Amino acid sequence: MTQQLPPKNLVLYADDDIDDIDLIRDAFRHYPSVEIVDFENGEALLHYAQHLASVDVTPCLIILDVNMPRMDGKLTLRALRSMESYQHTPVILYTTSTLPDEKAFARKFNAGFVTKPLCVDQIRIAVDLFVDHCSEDVRRTIKKQSEK
Amino acid sequence: MTKKALERKEFDEMPPDKQFEVLHRDGVYIGKRKEGEETVVLLQLSSFYVELYYTKYRKEVSRLLTSDDTEILQPYLEQIHVRDLKKKKE
Repeated sequence: MTQQLPPKNLVLYADDDIDDIDLIRDAFRHYPSVEIVDFENGEALLHYAQHLASVDVTPCLIILDVNMPRMDGKLTLRALRSMESYQHTPVILYTTSTLPDEKAFARKFNAGFVTKPLCVDQIRIAVDLFVDHCSEDVRRTIKKQSEK
Repeated sequence: MTKKALERKEFDEMPPDKQFEVLHRDGVYIGKRKEGEETVVLLQLSSFYVELYYTKYRKEVSRLLTSDDTEILQPYLEQIHVRDLKKKKE
């Protein structure tokens, strides 16, 4: 009998820091139903997001580093929100910054704001915050899969 | 009432978990560099700097150094390419 695999929850993540990408990939290992697709800048993520929209696939979460070459996280967020398919997709600005202006920018575009962690405990909190930004259905599925 | 700026001595005397909490909340990220096998992250906190030496990036800290000498910035400044700054300006 063929066992059907549960559908993956797609997370798009743009960051030019390979260490941070590895860290987040590693942290999400506890959530087997999550598939992370990473990009080295916002422009590459945006192209992929446009492709997904054309085939009617919606990621459950988009994580954007703020400081990236070519297209930074804030410009990418603005571009995503101007696309009909991404007006309500959960997006998080994930950054080394703690500046109130950047938090306000995230709020303005209906996005979350998570400061990059500095130690193991903070990594766990950051990943929990990522999952908490997903819709309730997705959140339930992700957490259920991680308990198995 | 104005919040009193955190002093280096006060930070040095904090337990590690409190130091990480304060750094995460108030630290301003300046840069990252490699030193041998370790990754070093520099943050500014009020009027001093904090360097975190990671044996495993953002996971295992081997030591934490504080300094109020701007010389600590030098290895990070050396990584900034003038050409990149020019591009950003354009």
